[in-house]
Amino acid sequence: MKEFSIVGKHVPRNDARAKATGTAVYTDDIKLPGMLHGRLLRSPFAHARIVGIDTSRAEALPGVKCVITGEDIPKVKYGNWRLFPETQDEYALAVDKVRFIGDEVAAVAAVDLDIAEEALGLIEVEYEELPGVFDIDSSIKEGHPVIHDYCPTNISVDRKIEYGDLEKAFAESDYVREDVFTVHPVSHAYLEPCSALAQCDLDGRITLWTSTQVPYIIQCLLASTLEMRENDVRVIKPFVGGGFGGKMELRAWEFCAAFMAKKTGKPVKFTLSRDEEFLAGRRRHGMKLYSKVGFKKDGTLTGKDFRVYLDGGAYNAMGPTATFLCGNFGAMLYRYPSYRYLGEHVYTNKPPASAMRGFGAPQAIFATETQMSIAAEELGMDPIELRMKNAQVSGDEITGFATISSCGFKEALEKVAEMSGWKEKRGNPKEGRGIGIGCYSFISGGAFNWFNTQYPYSAAEVRVFDDGTAHLLTMAADIGQGCDTALKQILAESLGLKMEDIRITSADTAMTPQADLGAWGSRLTLFNGNAVLDAAEKIKSKLYGAVSARFNMNVIHDFECKNGRVFPKGKPDRGLTFGEAVAMVQKAQRGEPLLAHGYYTPRDKGLVTPAFSFGAQVAEVEVDKKTGIVDVKKFWTAHDCGTVINPRAAEGQLEGSIQMGLGYALSEQFIMDGGKTLNTNFLDYKMPNAMDMPPSEVVHLDTYEPEGPMGAKEAGEGLAIPTAPAIAEAVFNATGYRCRDLPITPEKILKAIEESESEKGGSKSTMK
Amino acid sequence: MKRLSHFEYRVPKTVEEAIELLESGGPDARLMAGGTDLIMKMKLGAISPKFVISLKKISGLDAIAFSEKTGLTIGATALLADVATHPDILKHYPAVAEAARGTANVQVRNMGTVVGNLCNASPAADNAPTLLAMGATVHILGAGGKRDLPLDQFFQGPGRTALQGAEIVTAVSVPVPPPASGAAYLSLSARGKLDCTAVGAAAFVTMQNDVCGDLRLYIAACGPTPLRAPGAEEILRGKAPTDDLLEMAGRQACAEASPITDLRASADYRTKIIAVLASRAIKAAGKRALER
Repeated sequence: MKEFSIVGKHVPRNDARAKATGTAVYTDDIKLPGMLHGRLLRSPFAHARIVGIDTSRAEALPGVKCVITGEDIPKVKYGNWRLFPETQDEYALAVDKVRFIGDEVAAVAAVDLDIAEEALGLIEVEYEELPGVFDIDSSIKEGHPVIHDYCPTNISVDRKIEYGDLEKAFAESDYVREDVFTVHPVSHAYLEPCSALAQCDLDGRITLWTSTQVPYIIQCLLASTLEMRENDVRVIKPFVGGGFGGKMELRAWEFCAAFMAKKTGKPVKFTLSRDEEFLAGRRRHGMKLYSKVGFKKDGTLTGKDFRVYLDGGAYNAMGPTATFLCGNFGAMLYRYPSYRYLGEHVYTNKPPASAMRGFGAPQAIFATETQMSIAAEELGMDPIELRMKNAQVSGDEITGFATISSCGFKEALEKVAEMSGWKEKRGNPKEGRGIGIGCYSFISGGAFNWFNTQYPYSAAEVRVFDDGTAHLLTMAADIGQGCDTALKQILAESLGLKMEDIRITSADTAMTPQADLGAWGSRLTLFNGNAVLDAAEKIKSKLYGAVSARFNMNVIHDFECKNGRVFPKGKPDRGLTFGEAVAMVQKAQRGEPLLAHGYYTPRDKGLVTPAFSFGAQVAEVEVDKKTGIVDVKKFWTAHDCGTVINPRAAEGQLEGSIQMGLGYALSEQFIMDGGKTLNTNFLDYKMPNAMDMPPSEVVHLDTYEPEGPMGAKEAGEGLAIPTAPAIAEAVFNATGYRCRDLPITPEKILKAIEESESEKGGSKSTMK
Repeated sequence: MKRLSHFEYRVPKTVEEAIELLESGGPDARLMAGGTDLIMKMKLGAISPKFVISLKKISGLDAIAFSEKTGLTIGATALLADVATHPDILKHYPAVAEAARGTANVQVRNMGTVVGNLCNASPAADNAPTLLAMGATVHILGAGGKRDLPLDQFFQGPGRTALQGAEIVTAVSVPVPPPASGAAYLSLSARGKLDCTAVGAAAFVTMQNDVCGDLRLYIAACGPTPLRAPGAEEILRGKAPTDDLLEMAGRQACAEASPITDLRASADYRTKIIAVLASRAIKAAGKRALER
């Protein structure tokens, strides 16, 4: 491991004090003079034609300033796959048709929230109800209702991957295993509900404060839907209370706030309720996954055939990317000499599924990992041994996609086995106890460019001053994951400054450099970190020139910035303070401020990502065989995220991942009646809380990613993947119940135990 | 969730004053102790009372008192958190303290009350089954005077109690536990440690030389009110609680409850769990009885 002064150290987070003291300003905290309050009217039907809307009574209500419907807005569809306009399938407000319960139909802006709410009740909408489809099978079977006219099959996107000779591989396999898995949708359940506030200036330009992960994408899509120029829209991201993929698209309220601000000349704010978030908010994709794998007798993988249907809900949202990524994740962890993937994104009359922490991986890898464990069982091998045999290693190539430059997967497997006492516990099972493993690999940002941006993927501007300070400007969106802190650390390390020497301005599209594709796909540390380093290098070369000239140094000398000074390597006395060096450069430039732009776009790194993270997690559970209740006793995790920039932030990511994985595996689910979500509050949407968190141990493996800034790669999403398969395998180990359909519920466990007991009884009777 | 609709907030200083306000407000008035159920219902738009009468400023109403002769009295505004940690309750009525501690979360326990939990009359109320099993009595004061009602006549259905007109529950009292008696409450829900109860069971048992004497068993969240299971009690009364008999009693308890399928559990799962929790609760209560 390289030695750093600030990177890898326990540096307090940039936002910690503001959040702990309650002074952090989120979008809903912002109040502007004359501000109106907006509310959305949502469809009560899962699928219906809009026959007519009468807003006259709502408009007549005193205090109501503006009412709009799909009739009033420019007919411009939006969606994040701008490169493929046919995938852009959504209007801010429904035009002609509603496609899920909660679909936005009209918006009201009024002087206060109560009036806005009352006005919603005065809008009369005449609907003609249409038959709906609520699951994958009925959406694609013959004679299904069509949800979007442009898409008569209801399959909006498909994606194929194929390499190697799969048929030959299966023919030559000693053991072939086929399984069908289903996984359910869950909620991002970020603690800050979505909120947006728009202001229109006298020149007609829009400023939008919004709770988003993707300020630049919002700027572009908002401009196109308002039929404005991009630079006439300014998007500012205040503090954001979590996103997890649920805040990475332009949404109805962002458009409505801006459109109504323009129309009324007054600022307009929308903040969703928790009920709306659960009823109509984005979700993780439910999927049906068919997986067939082949092995040699010794456990060597020969090939995999992976066919996945994604339940997309009513609109594409980020479904196309999930369809694409799911296929990559299906083959990322292990060496499959041959692989075939077909993913299909299916419309249903339910709230749209979209990106959610792991973005296709929690589903694909739940199937992969469960099947590996089943195979280990049937091949008579230890699950970790089978994984070791097939694990990707540094230098491996995923055919046609990427080369794995750094990979600590095998080390992770060895480490968790050791930490958890795997051999001992698997060898001496205790009644009701079980231990299981789950692994992951994830991308450090996407190399794909469906947004079709003409800008770099990440950019940074660094300004330095003669008082020894620096100002970092970046469009990277800190949504609670801590990238403001990580980027400051990277800059401080590179310039040899202290954290307090660096001011950061982030995520304001009118102030921070174009562009950044946002906080998703675990991209910011690597992408934006590289952009920051690029800018810092440009600054440093100027400083070095100045110091070299000042001391009349021989040109062979190299320089460094350290401890607030700039000096030739090995000759710290022949140097200047950082501020003096900046002043020298500025003098030489006749007063021109010293600043530099940096950027990063992955090049020659395949279509998927510049770097992969890896890790393994072991869960130990205790199952009450009478009630089916699973108590997770402990987690052990070993992961490879390259250089750890901020250890506490990485540990925070792990804790948050475990909390989400625990819910995904055991307790969270939407209870649906057709297209209607019944559990729209935290009482009945069973998200684990602090009391449910088991103890956990973690080891950050010592790896270095050559493509990453100072060796770093992702740590934000991969960790959300292994928990569900690890728990599922531990539950199998404890009870014999093998979960192929998440979540693992007490009812399913009891049923399996009863069935296995009655089978035992049956075999006894045949013995007689 | 809606914003609160307009209402008038009244803070009487005496119970009598509260009763007067309740009487003059009629059906438009609601009493509030901790407000942890009431305010939620108002925010959800389920009710919109014109008057909310807080009991919090009535002095002495939050008293928790114990004597070896009269037993335990928990005042109407005594907090769940206080009941959960009260030394006399921990010593003489550990199951009552456990039920209070198992109710909701820290924040709710610091606001909500045991009596409020009873008056809300949810079939899933965590404090009802133990108090029922221990033979508690509610003390009621109204315009017509005072009356005491056994708790097992108090619950009439989901959200419905035996309170009439302008009546207030001023306290709930629990008799002194007889020697060699024990009580236990077990509950279960999908999330684990912090959740609304999907199934609960409380048992009160007196033991005489390893044989069950008096026995009361109540099942929560499996019927319109917490339900007593007299048939299950009968199976064990006068007998040693062997595993076989406990299992049989558990099965009988299922037959005596009327679980439904809702968001929190299916009827089928509830049926299975009633048997498990009922027999475990009796066993735990019996163990406590023998330890006393």
